[in-house]
Amino acid sequence: MNPPSDFQRQLTRRAFLGRSALGLGALGLSSLLNGNLPAASGPPGRPQYAPKAKRIIFLFMSGGPSQLDLFDPKPKLNELNGQPMPDSLVKNERVAQLQGKQLKCMGTRYQFARYGQSGVDISELLPWTAKMADDITVIRSMQTEAINHDPAVTFMQTGSAQPGRPVMGSWLSYGLGSNNRDLPAFVVLVSGIGTGQNLHTRYWGSGFLPTVHQGVQFRSKGDPVLFVSNPPGMSPEVRRRVLDSVRDVNQRKLDVVGDPEIATRIEQYEMAYRMQTSVPELMDTSKEPASVFDLYGQDAKTPGTFAANCLLARRLAERDVRFIQLYHRDWDHHDQLPKGITTQCRQVDQAGFALVQDLKQRGLLDDTIVIWSGEFGRTPMSQSNTAYDTYGRDHHMKAFTAWVAGGGFKAGALIGATDDLGYAVTKDPVPVHHFHATVLHLMGIEHTKLVYRSQGRDFRLTDVHGNVVRALLT
Amino acid sequence: MNKEGAKFMILITGALLASVTLSDGAGSPAKPAPLDFNRDIRPILSDNCFACHGPDEKARKAKLRLDVKEGAFAVTDGKSPIVPGRSSASELIRRVTNTDPDEIMPPPKSGKKLTPEQIGRLRQWIDQGASWQGHWAFQPPVRPATPAVRNGKWARNPIDSFVLAKLEQEKLSPQAEADARTLIRRLSLDLIGLPPTPEEVDEFLADQKAGADGRLVDRLLASKHFGERMAQMWLDVARFADSDGYHDDTTRMMWPYRDYVINSFNANKPFDQFTIEQIAGDLLPNATLEQKVGSAFHRNGPTSSEGGADAKEYAARYAVDRVNTTATAWLGVTLQCAECHDHKYDPFTTREFYQMFAFFNQVPENPIERTLHVAPVIATPTPTQEAKLGELKREAAALEQELKAALEKPGAKPDVVQKETPAADVAELKKKVAAAKKARDDFEKTIPRLRVMADVPTPRPTYILVRGDYRSPGETVTPGVPAVLGKMPDSPKTDRVALAKWLTQPQHPLTARVTVNRLWQMIYGVGLVRTSEEFGAQGERPSHPELLDWLAVEFVESGWNVKHMLKLIVSSATYRQSSRMNPKLLALDPENRLLARGARFRLPAEMVRDNALAVASLFDRSRAVGGPSVKPYQPGDLWREFSYGDSADKAYVRSKGADLYRRSIYTFWKRSVLYPSYAMFDAPNREVCTARRPVTNTPLQAYVLLNDETFVEAARVMAQRVITERPGDFDGQLQRAFQIALARPPSAPEMQAMQNLHREMLAEYRRRPEAAKKLLGVGEAPMPATADPAGLAAWTCVANAILNFDETITKE
Repeated sequence: MNPPSDFQRQLTRRAFLGRSALGLGALGLSSLLNGNLPAASGPPGRPQYAPKAKRIIFLFMSGGPSQLDLFDPKPKLNELNGQPMPDSLVKNERVAQLQGKQLKCMGTRYQFARYGQSGVDISELLPWTAKMADDITVIRSMQTEAINHDPAVTFMQTGSAQPGRPVMGSWLSYGLGSNNRDLPAFVVLVSGIGTGQNLHTRYWGSGFLPTVHQGVQFRSKGDPVLFVSNPPGMSPEVRRRVLDSVRDVNQRKLDVVGDPEIATRIEQYEMAYRMQTSVPELMDTSKEPASVFDLYGQDAKTPGTFAANCLLARRLAERDVRFIQLYHRDWDHHDQLPKGITTQCRQVDQAGFALVQDLKQRGLLDDTIVIWSGEFGRTPMSQSNTAYDTYGRDHHMKAFTAWVAGGGFKAGALIGATDDLGYAVTKDPVPVHHFHATVLHLMGIEHTKLVYRSQGRDFRLTDVHGNVVRALLT
Repeated sequence: MNKEGAKFMILITGALLASVTLSDGAGSPAKPAPLDFNRDIRPILSDNCFACHGPDEKARKAKLRLDVKEGAFAVTDGKSPIVPGRSSASELIRRVTNTDPDEIMPPPKSGKKLTPEQIGRLRQWIDQGASWQGHWAFQPPVRPATPAVRNGKWARNPIDSFVLAKLEQEKLSPQAEADARTLIRRLSLDLIGLPPTPEEVDEFLADQKAGADGRLVDRLLASKHFGERMAQMWLDVARFADSDGYHDDTTRMMWPYRDYVINSFNANKPFDQFTIEQIAGDLLPNATLEQKVGSAFHRNGPTSSEGGADAKEYAARYAVDRVNTTATAWLGVTLQCAECHDHKYDPFTTREFYQMFAFFNQVPENPIERTLHVAPVIATPTPTQEAKLGELKREAAALEQELKAALEKPGAKPDVVQKETPAADVAELKKKVAAAKKARDDFEKTIPRLRVMADVPTPRPTYILVRGDYRSPGETVTPGVPAVLGKMPDSPKTDRVALAKWLTQPQHPLTARVTVNRLWQMIYGVGLVRTSEEFGAQGERPSHPELLDWLAVEFVESGWNVKHMLKLIVSSATYRQSSRMNPKLLALDPENRLLARGARFRLPAEMVRDNALAVASLFDRSRAVGGPSVKPYQPGDLWREFSYGDSADKAYVRSKGADLYRRSIYTFWKRSVLYPSYAMFDAPNREVCTARRPVTNTPLQAYVLLNDETFVEAARVMAQRVITERPGDFDGQLQRAFQIALARPPSAPEMQAMQNLHREMLAEYRRRPEAAKKLLGVGEAPMPATADPAGLAAWTCVANAILNFDETITKE
């Protein structure tokens, strides 16, 4: 009953799977082909139209940075500092840890200046970011639907606050496959280990998509990929010899029982062997010239820092990895915000700048999207106290700031605006679903068409929502 | 590449061809014979029409409803969507064949379009009289007659008649029977999740008396490992874990529930009773401890204790999880679609969703409490512990009584002659009381406790939450079940007990079908209904609908007897077929939906590890079932990398001794950082109810088997084992190793390959004794003092290879 067009598209899909680093077994493959492909929409395996971008680097600021101290200055808040927030704004509104507390205005202690052709205000905390104002687009009108960390990260990554759905990287691995035979399509790098909000492996989980689409974490300590290293006392030559004998026996088995799954397994063992070289080679930045470390900062020499991960992100982008997910922890500043945010900005500011410049110099920025965002922002109301050296802020969903660069996003623009107190969006709102739709669009995917059938329903990254935000595009 | 690459391509192409011919996913090409509404027509309407012309009243366009007969046949203004017998007069056909973009259905902007073949089918069905049926899965199953087959001798039981009838229809014949060695390994893995020992294989081969197979199956079903194997499947469904799941993923103590599941399967508890205990064990009259423990099922869902979380939001979330889990586990339907709007494909309304919700939002819990034991909690002592606690309580009470008496002033009770107790004695007595109380309390603390269900004494009102938002309560609803699935039995109260009784009514359309389908899936890799979590209109039709119904009725009539059903399945000729494939069959039926061969698939995550431990004799088969979850080898700081800054749970404290080698069902299940080898072999993190796992094949899996400490140690200990068992005889050792790992001797080329590997490795490690020492240092298991390091290291490499054979991790 499948019309020839479906058949053709499935062949295309086969071609993608052949290229995929973490290919599917035949069983998984055939179940995808026969069962789980949505009936009415284009199967994945290639963009649906000419993409602007080929890969994404998502710099996730876990914990929720304060937009009011970084990107969205509100003189009125400073004027009203310590006074109650107007009821008209906050009555019956959701707050997190401020539940039942008196809500007071909280200004910022930081100075802002205008930068670049858009004249975007950037705080003194981010001098490097300010320098690249003409490379990035600042979105002041981000909105989310979840007010606590875990559901909000889940929402930002999957389009649903409930666990169980695939994250962006998994959707793109599924939708576009891999461009690199020796590395996974979706790689995760974590910094700020041991501080701030915890991370779940679900944040790079494939949900109901086959687990080949989950992110593979490249670690800074121990094995860069879990179990990639041979056991102590087993040299690469010994390993190769053992693998040869395994292949020999598996090949005989394949000849007898004819199960294509065995052929896949033989291939995957070869891929594993290649990755034993390609992963350490990727992680070894020692041969990068001194100029690179000048650009990213000397932190980049210390594995596990955000700067080191930004450098790795560039190396992964060079190798055409599809989705490069960074998490940097410890932005959850309920109290002692000035102290915390200063540290965080020092860790991320120069490295973020360096990454964008480095991509640009290498001609990679045109087809690489860089995203800088938390899971939500922070309240214009104070938490803990209103003193300018120790204040804090609660979680805020109704307006927060992200920046994007490259891959068909406008450069040097400012999108969206908030009210005088920075509470709500007043112009060009960009809810998370819109944001997802826009990113998929740049990757050549119509967001309503990238679907996967689970439990009898066709699911999308954008759920049943989302519009492409044209104002963000070149 | 070369030959196998080419073969793979051919096979894949075969898969694609098959996807064209197996149009309904059920394995039968369309025939000119009368069309069947549920098989041939409903899927077209469901995929293309129901979203706007289906159950969801708010989304319904033009007041037209095509998911019910009354709507599809209704005459409005002289027109009707379907005019039986006359496709040319049917509005439905006029619209789907229209070329005017304003008229054509589905509308172009929906992105949906009917194919000419689908339109042809609709026409044919209408012209044949448009016979309408309710959705198959919502009609109570009726036991069908066993079909007649030509090759009657092949069939061992009725399952085979259904399978063979279909094969004969497709002009296929079954494969030959698998050999005895394959069969015992298959049975052993399927029923107890462990490979047979060489002694068990020999015994089975030697048993020439009639009924040997039946005796083997009976032995396996009676094994205590049966329950451990079955629990693996059920714990995915029950979303069981040892941590809370959300936010900082605090540790919880739920393992007594895991043991309840194992023990229930071992005791062959009737599945209706198993259901009732898990849905409503706490509410049963004079509930036993075991029944209350069963009710922990619905305390397994993920919970949060994040600062700033709104308790009301989370309370609603947990109730939603309980509805969704109940729906997937027993009903095989996706009620969650109806949380925000009426279901788009199946006749479930939002009101009905919240009627189900009303059963589950009555728990007196603090939804965002952070502690090991979030109330309601019960103690779960063993009988011995209970007796000892009773004794300690009585001792303390008696001493207290004595003290009280001693403290009473003489003359306080006129009838009793009393003397004043000396102060020193009183002081001594006080000490004794304190010691007894401490002993009692200390002991009580060692008794495991478990979160269980309970209902508040006065039922809370339940509201329809508008668009699923807990802040928007709408109309009030009372507890109830989806009308299309049949009425609840009469009972004084509409509570969870009534719900459980309804689920287990013999005529319930779904519970038995869904359950036997999951058993089938466990054995064959794919269920008779592939979408084992979805039996609704958007799910797949069963490959063998009559067989599914036959099994469902048999299940109910057997008294919901799980072991009986499994015995039936594994005793069939269908099950006993060889799993060898040939290109023709693969091209026609790559997923073996027609069952023209035995199943062959990679073992699930836990079994991959258990198999290695068993092969190495690291796993103690005599150890009793149950106990706290354990923490086997895992790379050092993995938990710390993810943990909340000040979390108490961030250090992974590895277990010691025998606990390193417990069966995988006992491994600590931390949702945020799942045990790595399980995650890589497709185990779910169990945040939601999971009815089936994918089976992938990745390079990361190769790393686990090649390099994970667990598997490297297993290779060394396996080497030690065969060297000890066949000293000085390398070929004998190799024979033994194959018998242990694969239940068969090596072939000559395999023998050769392993001999060569061993010889080269021996030379290598003789040259590099330091390397040998390092390799042998992996894992805590002791090494014989007399071991020759180079020899053992070389053998470890051979065992490492054997543990990586495709066959070793595959059920054949």
